[in-house]
Amino acid sequence: MRASPLATVAIGVVAIWLAAAAAAPILAPYEPLRQDIVGRLAPPSAAHWLGTDALGRDILSRTLHGARISIPVGLAAVMLAAGLGAVVGGLAGFVGRRVDDVLMRVTDLMLAFPTVILALVITAALGVGIRNAVFAIMVAWWPTYARLVRGLVLAVREREFVQVAYALGASDGRVLWRYVAPNVVSSIVVLATLDVGHAILTFASLSFLGLGPPPEVPEWGSMIAAGRNYLDQWWIATFPGLAILSLTIAFNVVGDSFRDFLDPRLRRL
Amino acid sequence: MLVGITLLTFVLSHAVPADPVTASLGEQAAADPAVVAAFRHEWGLDRSLPAQYGIYLWNLVHGNFGVSISTRQPVWLDLRQTLPATIELAVVAMSLSVLIGIPLGVLSAVKRDSVLDQLTRVVSLVGTSMPIFWLGLVVLVVFYARLGWAPPPGRLSATLAAPPMITGFLLVDSLLAGRPAVALDALRHLVLPAAVLSTYNLGILARLMRGSTLDVLGEDYVRTARAKGLAEGAVTLRHAARNALIPVITVIGLSFGRLLSGAVIIESVFAWPGLGLYAFRTATSLDFPAIMGVGIVVATVYVLANLLVDVAYALVDPRIQVGR
Repeated sequence: MRASPLATVAIGVVAIWLAAAAAAPILAPYEPLRQDIVGRLAPPSAAHWLGTDALGRDILSRTLHGARISIPVGLAAVMLAAGLGAVVGGLAGFVGRRVDDVLMRVTDLMLAFPTVILALVITAALGVGIRNAVFAIMVAWWPTYARLVRGLVLAVREREFVQVAYALGASDGRVLWRYVAPNVVSSIVVLATLDVGHAILTFASLSFLGLGPPPEVPEWGSMIAAGRNYLDQWWIATFPGLAILSLTIAFNVVGDSFRDFLDPRLRRL
Repeated sequence: MLVGITLLTFVLSHAVPADPVTASLGEQAAADPAVVAAFRHEWGLDRSLPAQYGIYLWNLVHGNFGVSISTRQPVWLDLRQTLPATIELAVVAMSLSVLIGIPLGVLSAVKRDSVLDQLTRVVSLVGTSMPIFWLGLVVLVVFYARLGWAPPPGRLSATLAAPPMITGFLLVDSLLAGRPAVALDALRHLVLPAAVLSTYNLGILARLMRGSTLDVLGEDYVRTARAKGLAEGAVTLRHAARNALIPVITVIGLSFGRLLSGAVIIESVFAWPGLGLYAFRTATSLDFPAIMGVGIVVATVYVLANLLVDVAYALVDPRIQVGR
């Protein structure tokens, strides 16, 4: 796989963020929760490279620690959504008939519902917190995967090698596992890669609205929300925002290149 | 479809451990059994779930959305006041993304690999990756707090009286009332939130239009048009862009759902008194009638938007007929 210069840079950015997340406790100059009321709202300086927030907490340390939440959350949300979507879509496509009708009706219904409003209802109902935000993203997103997988399964099922497998006496389970699944997996992986950046963004949005972790936790969305009341102290919201933007752009570029490499058919998505 | 949405919102909002009693009354009042019983009875929460759903549907077909637990107003009235604000915002945002994104996509396809093309790719990448709540704050800091060019968050300046509500769209109502100054003020308030809300769709549309135009430019009929000696501009606009628009229109319809998600966030940043802010406030207080009302309205808007898209197909492509 020969990556374009842009993709190389993007892979680098993702790698840097992964390293930052892993090494945040070592890299961060301060404890992310350490308050310093005297030094609050300090602009960027040699002591605090990215300044401090309203409680005097070091923005650089909090931004680095934020990666430890955003990256795993983005990955987990997408994997859960892809998993659930693949099961539902696979069932619908493989079993067909009534099962297909019912499952796809539900899928369409969920697709018509805006993600944030759905997530709003779910997190509001289950209580705020990281786990429920992830659950909300999963509930909102699995239908896209279900649609994709169902379409692919329907197409693969008609292929000759599947017919041959049945003719040779293979069971449904064996056909599904040995012949259908391998032909579907690459497309799921591609779509999932493309979605990771988007998931990080959505999680930060929910957190910004107050539906994520509690405010003291160093998380990018809630850090930006904390900056809303301090428009003159621009550094509070600016740096976590740049963190989200850089990581999302990088994941999107990596996803694009991954798609072109693995599955050019999906280029239109 | 709409019945499905009512069922979905109903199940979602009721199949949860959280209790609207505590959410609305507060911990202290919720500790008093008599208060709780009265509250549950007043809002019909002491009936069985199917019965509650039945009552809700019955009221709904009679045009009654119920009464919001948090605002104490009929949900219908709340929606009537908030929906136009969101539609105004969404329509302006969508127009911005279409009017900028589509020409940008066509131009960058025609001038492939030029500086403009590179720039378009950057715009679409950044647009689709942008945390809009953050961008909203940044533009507020720059254009309102620093430069003072933009008005503070909100829909209208506090010094101006809102025009009498006819359509609910401030731009239209103020002109109907013959008060252009109010319309101008409303427009000034609208520019920033609409521009921020448009970024994602602008990015998607520019990128899709570029790809789609590139595909079409390779078609035989484009070569034929060129061979006939048509000017390059005519070939691009009449033959290529028009055909390239077809797949893009589908995406415009589908992206309305995302636009509404964005509206929740943008309305929260810009204190825009629309459906998104209403959804946020009612959902966080577990106001079931209001949440269900929002759900129904949102689904209806989505269905209508996609209906409009079908009509738009027919306008762009005469081979497609509406109602066939």
